[in-house]
Amino acid sequence: MQITQPLAETAERRRENLLVRIVRRLADSRELTLFVLVVALALAMSIVYPNNFPTASNMRAVLLNLAPVGMLVCGMMLLMIGGTFDLSVGSTLAFSGVWAGVVAGWWGWPAESAVLVGILVGALCGLVNGLIVTRIGINALIATLGTLTIYRSLTYVTAGTGVTPISDAFAAYGRAADPLFRIQSPFWAMLVLVLVGGWLVARTRFFRQFYFIGGNPRAAQLSGIRVDRLILIGFVIMGALAGLAGVLGAARLNSAVVNAGVGIELKVITATVLGGASLKGGEGTILGGILGVLFIALIENAMIINAIGVFWQGLVVGLVLLFAVSLDRFKTSGRA
Amino acid sequence: MAPRLEINGLSKFFPGVRALDDVSMNVEAGEIRALLGENGAGKSTLGKIVAGVYSRDQGTVLVDGAEIGTLDEKAAGDLGIGIVHQEGSLVPQLSVAENIFAGRQPTQWLGQVNVRAMREQAKALIAQLGVAIDPALKVSALSPAQAQIVEIAKALSRDLRILILDEPTAALTLTETEKLFDVVRRLAGNGVSVIYVSHRLAEIFALCHSVTVLKDGRLAGTRKVAETSTDELIRLMVGRDVHFSRSPAGRKIGDVVLQAQNVDAPPLVRSASITVRAGEIVCLAGLIGSGRSEFCEAIFGARRRHGGSVRIGGTAIDPKGPWDGKHAGIGMVPEDRKAAGLFLGMDIVNNVAATVLSRVSSGANFSNRKAEALARNFVDELRIATPSVHQIVGNLSGGNQQKVLLAKWLAMEPRLLIVDEPTRGVDVGARSEIYRLLRALADKGVALLVVSSDLPEVLALADRIVVMAEGRTVGELPGDGASEEQVLRLATRYTASVAEVRNQADMAEA
Repeated sequence: MQITQPLAETAERRRENLLVRIVRRLADSRELTLFVLVVALALAMSIVYPNNFPTASNMRAVLLNLAPVGMLVCGMMLLMIGGTFDLSVGSTLAFSGVWAGVVAGWWGWPAESAVLVGILVGALCGLVNGLIVTRIGINALIATLGTLTIYRSLTYVTAGTGVTPISDAFAAYGRAADPLFRIQSPFWAMLVLVLVGGWLVARTRFFRQFYFIGGNPRAAQLSGIRVDRLILIGFVIMGALAGLAGVLGAARLNSAVVNAGVGIELKVITATVLGGASLKGGEGTILGGILGVLFIALIENAMIINAIGVFWQGLVVGLVLLFAVSLDRFKTSGRA
Repeated sequence: MAPRLEINGLSKFFPGVRALDDVSMNVEAGEIRALLGENGAGKSTLGKIVAGVYSRDQGTVLVDGAEIGTLDEKAAGDLGIGIVHQEGSLVPQLSVAENIFAGRQPTQWLGQVNVRAMREQAKALIAQLGVAIDPALKVSALSPAQAQIVEIAKALSRDLRILILDEPTAALTLTETEKLFDVVRRLAGNGVSVIYVSHRLAEIFALCHSVTVLKDGRLAGTRKVAETSTDELIRLMVGRDVHFSRSPAGRKIGDVVLQAQNVDAPPLVRSASITVRAGEIVCLAGLIGSGRSEFCEAIFGARRRHGGSVRIGGTAIDPKGPWDGKHAGIGMVPEDRKAAGLFLGMDIVNNVAATVLSRVSSGANFSNRKAEALARNFVDELRIATPSVHQIVGNLSGGNQQKVLLAKWLAMEPRLLIVDEPTRGVDVGARSEIYRLLRALADKGVALLVVSSDLPEVLALADRIVVMAEGRTVGELPGDGASEEQVLRLATRYTASVAEVRNQADMAEA
């Protein structure tokens, strides 16, 4: 008896440990946590609302709606891994979309050139942000808060109330849908970006440098990593992605709206942080970021189907964000 | 009559260190007493205990014959004890007057600060020091010397009895230093006792009446300045028990790898030259603030060079940043491993890979497998004590962190490895292992440039010793047979001739 009892105890402990291990594993990997949550939420919704949630049209709407945020999250995640961020993405998005509209709608240039101009305008906005941050040395919060209002103002100056309609050829870029799922191009563009970007950031040595910069910028600099140049490139990529999102958004509506993307930066940063980025930098993956976007999109969808007022959405998303970050705090304080 | 300050059997312990051990001293009213000692001898600690910044663990402190109990900085201030810190304690964005009266501004109704009264009182305090500084100016607009004077004014209370100055001239030019000395002499003339913490011998001879020398936290001796000599003070400062053995030597010294000439990188490097050959360990010695680290940074490209030349293997280089230095085959292990060296939140694998991203990649892809293999090699070779190569570096001990930092730079296989303070904050066991590693590297033909403030370390490691003072390389000694005294004499020789230089400058101005 005296021998078997401890044995039974250890067996019990082992079982307990397995459970604890699974939970810890889940909490350890933000991607895994989010994935489980997304799947659980989707399953629950499918069971509770079999007629409203798992329908092709609802899925299409959800996926199409998250496309712009998804594109921006790729760039934001890269910047946040490098320890910085960009608040001006919403304004950049609108500014790029309006310029694409002006070029195709008012000037009658071919649709292809309008797409290109829109992306270039976005990249240029990003370049300006990057130069302000790296050359003048203004902190990213202040710098991009400044350009947030500047780019928005320039958008109004450029096109007053917007450009509507633009042109059918241009609209085709945003409305083209695949034959099988019939989801329009912004979603597919986002999917390609997430896959390619996810691979680049996770695997290539070029983008790995951003993790070092975010981990300790001074040590990165002294390790021979060109910190300023890479941060500048990060901002240009962010701008170009905002440009693409703006162009596709304008094309899908065949209308360049001057108020496009107002407030989207907070949504993007929320999803990025939810997806595992830290404001201190050095952490996060694109996969995590996109799962964050998906999770927020599902919660919003659930609340719409539930007919809970839109006013409550922000409350729920905010609570989820705080919960996710406090999990992280708990983990790091346990380490230190 | 009781002395102004009487310290008996004072001891202070920090975790793992005995910072002060049974120190006793007396200071009379109106006396300027120097506290002298090497880096880490305990002189700043002693000053801070008297000023109530640190508490004491053993011993008594008496001011004018009255024993003082435990006190904090504010209580010390009430007793008439003021301190001017090495780091400075002024808020640059605020005015001189606000800084002087921080937290105790004169007020009028409703707690409003009486700005006019505050400025007038500040002006009066500064005038006591025999200088004029507009109390409405922001501190950021002041020169370093003026800022020091404001610090002293801040310490001046109605009846200041003891003033402690901790390395006050570190950031000052010669003329500014002289201005400060005038202020200090004036205070002493009014009966204030001054404790002047410094390691600059020249200043002590120029300013102080007497000097107390500390060595490894113990009292090494107290002398009247008029009755002592530079030689005697240096002898008191060195001569300790711990000695690391030199390697049996007989290493093959090869071609010149680094040749730096007249490197100028203001404000801390004025004209520094050095040559390091393959398989040679050259130690750069000197006092703190002599520009050693900055000289190394200028060689590596982490600091802009304004003049002079740097050649690596005979080819002139002009690095625009550390990446260019790295490309030329230079590695640099920085002094502050936490702030500037390591990625504390990342694992060993990533830390080691940081300098050699292209080597641990296949094409554009970062290869975790290659990086892990590299890290595993170093963990074995450097005997890094860790459960796995995926251990977060912040969780390792100081000695093991230092090894990871070395591994990070060994990975790039440098021709010249600069190591700034290789054993700071590292225990004795890890220390001798790091020495073994550095010697093994030199045996393999790497040129090593080691910056160290630890003289026994310099004597144990160096094939040659180059000494810097005030931004200049001032002399060279063979590593074998050199003594601590010789090194210190070189390190202070330049400052010992401060008075001469000042005279020359004055003559040039006139």
